[in-house]
Amino acid sequence: MADAPETSVDETPRGFIKSPLDFGGGLFLLALAVVGYIGAFNLPYGHMNSIGSGLLPKSVAILVGAFGLGIMLQGLFIEGDRLESWGIRGPIFVLGAVLVFAFAIRPLGLAIAGPLCVIVAAMADKDTRPVELVIFSLIMTALCVGLFKFLLRLPIPVFPPGYGPF
Amino acid sequence: MTDLVSNLSLGLQVALSLKNLGLCFLGCLIGTLIGVLPGVGPIATITMLLPITFGLDPVGALIMLAGIYYGAQYGGSTTAILVNIPGEATSVVTTLDGHQMAKQGRAGVALGIAAIGSFIAGCVATVIIAAMAAPLTKMALLFGPADYFSLMVLGLMFAVVLARGSVVKAIGVILVGILLSTVGTDLESGEERLTFGWSEISDGLDVAVVAMGMFGFAEILRNLESTQARDVVHAAIGNLLPNRKDFGQAAAPIARGTILGSILGLLPGNGAVLGPFASYTLEKKLAKDGSRFGKGAIEGVAGPESANNAGAQTAFIPLLTLGIPPNAVMALMVGAMTIHGIVPGPQIMTKQPQLFWGMIASMWIGNLMLLIINLPLIGLWVRLLKVPYRLMFPSIVLLCCIGIYSINNSPTEVIMTAGFGIFGYALLKFGLEPAPLLLGFVLGRLMEEKLRQALVISRGSFSTFVDCQLWSGACARPLSTGLLVLSAIIVVIAVLPSIRKSRDEVFVED
Repeated sequence: MADAPETSVDETPRGFIKSPLDFGGGLFLLALAVVGYIGAFNLPYGHMNSIGSGLLPKSVAILVGAFGLGIMLQGLFIEGDRLESWGIRGPIFVLGAVLVFAFAIRPLGLAIAGPLCVIVAAMADKDTRPVELVIFSLIMTALCVGLFKFLLRLPIPVFPPGYGPF
Repeated sequence: MTDLVSNLSLGLQVALSLKNLGLCFLGCLIGTLIGVLPGVGPIATITMLLPITFGLDPVGALIMLAGIYYGAQYGGSTTAILVNIPGEATSVVTTLDGHQMAKQGRAGVALGIAAIGSFIAGCVATVIIAAMAAPLTKMALLFGPADYFSLMVLGLMFAVVLARGSVVKAIGVILVGILLSTVGTDLESGEERLTFGWSEISDGLDVAVVAMGMFGFAEILRNLESTQARDVVHAAIGNLLPNRKDFGQAAAPIARGTILGSILGLLPGNGAVLGPFASYTLEKKLAKDGSRFGKGAIEGVAGPESANNAGAQTAFIPLLTLGIPPNAVMALMVGAMTIHGIVPGPQIMTKQPQLFWGMIASMWIGNLMLLIINLPLIGLWVRLLKVPYRLMFPSIVLLCCIGIYSINNSPTEVIMTAGFGIFGYALLKFGLEPAPLLLGFVLGRLMEEKLRQALVISRGSFSTFVDCQLWSGACARPLSTGLLVLSAIIVVIAVLPSIRKSRDEVFVED
């Protein structure tokens, strides 16, 4: 995921790599294969009538790597699409909001984690209006508390442990 | 035949109890409500709403889940028609003519015919399920581990053929899915695999986590980037009930779509996805004036919508009779059933006939309910869709978080979902399709189990999968052999240039 290869979207005549999209996709698969193989490195292959825990992960990882290499080679020689540019703002704030929720829900409860999550997520959009957003986040959270806590009785914490009426 | 009738009446008794009727209604309603949100397809909807069924008894929970499923499907079509944003691959086709109809002030008719077509398709598909369940369940008893394994190989090959773009990429992506499915403790030896010492994933990755990350969050990220303005229809919704001329035009496409969708939905490997595309192409070919398509032809909504719903329903057959989920949505159903202590497979029908037939009967009731709920509520959905996306997507993020957290009350799973969100985003950016990956992930664990069993039985001989002698025609495992041969044929066909071309055309139809 960290391995976005050269994102440079350059001018029309392509250079060494004919299809950066395929090359990048292949490289991505290859990277996954390497990680998978390392993760299964110490597991035994076993033998045919009782196959070991390592046989499937290792052989599948090798196959993924082979296909990844194939797609990379294809990207080298066959003209194709460029890499799309990666958004920065979207992933950071949307996934940041998810992380905020994950870390806040236990210690702070939904009443605080909810608005935080909505507000952080909303920053992914340039057109955010602060006042509207804050009011909206509070309404959304109230609705969620009503639905999940009272109507469905899910054991989700609403207030920090030890505080709050329920 | 009498069996069928008595089974169905048992099912109706269960499904028509006041409580189950209420759950079915609630499921359809909430499923539509969430499914209507742009960019939220059935996978994300079901994941989000899974926790609300936790407090129910198994029969009620399944009936409600099935309702959520149809609701989500129908909600997706509503968004496709009104906003031109398909919630999932299968509603892409509906956007073509449905949104055009909406722009011409015939949104009501488009929504109406989609609902009516889906209802008719749902009724037919329910009868098909009821009729096929018993014989298929008997057949399932003939399946040994080797046959199961080969059937799943066939399913994955179908997924390769049905994926858009390069076959090589699709296979690579499916393999990644299988690789992901091996994460966690090995069931036989107890060794941890690919966990890198992280104890949170020693139980393996949850389908809901992977699916929500790749289809819920990644979809939001993609929608945020799309520069194409969302254009909610401003024209009047117009009359909901199609007039006699509309019915005349739509009747045949609905019938053909229902048949196509029902058959394709049976295929392992998400054949249901193909239904709407196939139906659209067929209607366009059969039409006297094909140029009307793409400009608001009612046939282009009626046919694919019927095919979509028929396929969505017959996709239950492989799950209920063989215990093999044919697509990601059905895999979530497996997850949901497991939470309630039900193991999908041939034994459900014999051991829990009430549950089995109750669910099937509720499918029909659910379809009727969708018709009743949606026609009067369309105004509400329109108003919901007018909420600006800058407020809509943060709410979707919050609902996703609460949904994932509630499945196991685990903040860690929420974090992992974020991880799969960025993973899914990367796949999209590299032109790799997430749907086959999810299917590989879903089938991977089951495949490994069956592979091991088959090899133990055959004492380590791989030839058990194709145990046939060509010269004498003797075949020890005809099922497995046949399935593998079929898989090979499918892949060969998929890479043949002429077929490739027409396959690309089907998907690039616009």
